[in-house]
Amino acid sequence: MIRTLVLSICLAATLTGLSACKIVKNDTGAEGAIPPGPEGDAARIAALLEETYEARLVPHVTDTATDISALRSALAGGLDAAGEAHGVRATGEGSAWSFAVKGSGTVVEQNRKSRAATLGLDTDADGKPDTTLQLGPVVKGTALRDVAPFYVFTDFRDQIEFARLARALNDRAVGDLSLPEGDLTGRSVTFLGAFAARSASDPILVVPLSIEVSP
Amino acid sequence: MPNPSTATIWEDFMNFKRRLLLSAIAVTVSGAMPLMASAADLIAIITPGHDNPFFKAEADGADARAKELGYETLVLVHDDDANKQAELIDSAIAAGAKAIILDNAGADASVAAVQKAKDAGIPSFLIDREITKSGVAVSQIVSNNYQGAQLGAEEFVKLMGEEGEYAELVGKESDTNAKIRSSGYHDIIDQYPDLKMVAQQSANWSQTEAYTIMETVLQANPNIKGVISGNDTMAMGAWAALEAAGRTDVIVVGFDGSNDVRDSILKGGIKATVLQPAYRQAQLAVEQADQYIKTGSTGLEEKQLMDCVLVNGDNAGKLETFALSE
Repeated sequence: MIRTLVLSICLAATLTGLSACKIVKNDTGAEGAIPPGPEGDAARIAALLEETYEARLVPHVTDTATDISALRSALAGGLDAAGEAHGVRATGEGSAWSFAVKGSGTVVEQNRKSRAATLGLDTDADGKPDTTLQLGPVVKGTALRDVAPFYVFTDFRDQIEFARLARALNDRAVGDLSLPEGDLTGRSVTFLGAFAARSASDPILVVPLSIEVSP
Repeated sequence: MPNPSTATIWEDFMNFKRRLLLSAIAVTVSGAMPLMASAADLIAIITPGHDNPFFKAEADGADARAKELGYETLVLVHDDDANKQAELIDSAIAAGAKAIILDNAGADASVAAVQKAKDAGIPSFLIDREITKSGVAVSQIVSNNYQGAQLGAEEFVKLMGEEGEYAELVGKESDTNAKIRSSGYHDIIDQYPDLKMVAQQSANWSQTEAYTIMETVLQANPNIKGVISGNDTMAMGAWAALEAAGRTDVIVVGFDGSNDVRDSILKGGIKATVLQPAYRQAQLAVEQADQYIKTGSTGLEEKQLMDCVLVNGDNAGKLETFALSE
C-alpha cells in the first residue's frame, strides 16, 4: 500500500515536473518545479534520462564499443591493461572497469522465465556460452551508468540518487528491447551494450542497448 | 608550498568549469598555508565510536598510514553526535591540523562542520559516509553500498530459495548508508513475489537494539525464515536473539565484513555478509590528504566509490580486519 502510494506521488511529481518543463520552454527556472531533496529524485532522474539517453548515452556506447572478440583477448592479457585500452573506471582504485561492447553470436542458452532473464551467447563458435545478455526486468549492475563519463557521482546529492539513475538506465534499456517470443536457441544475434568487470575472469554480463535476432 | 603556475591555471581554464573551480580552491588553500605552517604536521582522524570494530578499523587504518607518511595524528570519536562532532572539528582547527579524515555524524548535519574546517583552511577527506553537498570536502570516498547491497540481496534470495517470510533491520535514519543499503536490498528482493517482508525496523546500527527488536519480531512472526540486516553489528544482535530462542534455522545476512560475523559464518551461524574495504579506504583517504597537502590537488573526482565483496562460507577464512587476503 505504502509503496503504491509513494509510487503514485513520484509519478505525480514526474508528471508535474515534465509538464512544467513543457510549458515554460527554454526557461531555466522550470527546474524549480522539482524539489531539490530526495523527494525530487524521481522527477530529476526522469528528466536526466529524457535529456541524455538518446542524445548522449546511445551515441557514446555506439561510438566507443569494442568488439567482443577483441575485448575477450584483451581481458585475457589482464584486467587493468584491457581497461586502460578499452574501458572506463570512473572513480579510481576500488571500482570496476566498465566496457562498451558490441558483437554477434549464437544463442546457446536461454533463461527467459526468470525475473532476471538472460540469453547465453557463444561468440567464438566453440559451442559454449561466453557472453550473457541481460533481458530484465531484474538487471544486475550499473555498467550503463558507469561507462558514460558524463554521469559523474560528484554531481549527485548522494548514492541514492546516483543509484536511481543506474536503475532508470537499466529499466529503459531492457524496456526498449523487442525480441521474438519463444525459443531463441540456435538463432544468431547481434548486440550493443555495456558490462563491468572487477576481475579478468568475471563472467561477461551485458546490459544490452539493442539486440537484433537474425531470422 | 607549490602554487599552481599561471600556465596550469590557463590550461585548466581551457578545460571545463569544474576544473577551473578546483584550481581556484587549490589557490585559496595554498594561500592559507602560511597560516598553518607554524603547526606540527598533524592529521585529525574523527570517526564514530570504536566499540563498532568497523570504525576502529577505519581509525587504525588512517592512523597507521598517516604515521607512515610522517604525520602526527589526533584520533577522536564523535559517537554519532553532530554537536560533539562540531566541537571536535573546532578542536582540530584549534590544534592546527593540516587535514581532517572524517567519518561523519549525519549527511545533512555535517555539511556545516566540514564547511567550517574549509573556511579555516583545513581540507576534509570523508570516508564511509557522504555528506549531501559537494564542493565542501576535498574527497568523499565511500563504499559502493548500492552494489554491495545488491550482492547481499542476491545471496539472501538464493539462501531463502526465493520464498518465505523475512525481516529487515535498517540502520540509523540520518545515515545515507542506511537508506542506500535498504534500497539496494529491495531493488533485488522485491522482484521475487514469494519473499514477504513481515517486519522492517531501524535498530540504529546497534547490537543491543537489534537483539530486542529481533525478540519482538520473532514472537509476532514465528514463521520467519530470514533476516537481512543493514550492518554486521545488528546482524550479530539478531543472531544472538535467534540463538537464545533456539531458532538457528533462520538465515541471517549482514553488511560490513567484520571479524565477528566472519567467525559466526565459519561456525555455521550467520550465512553471509558484504565486505566494505574499510581499512584500505581510510588509508586511501590519508594518501589523498597527503597528496593534497603537498600539491594542492588530489587529481581525482571528489566523490569516489569503492566496490564491496560478498563474504560467505567460501571465502570467510580469508577475511581479517575488513580486508580479504588473496
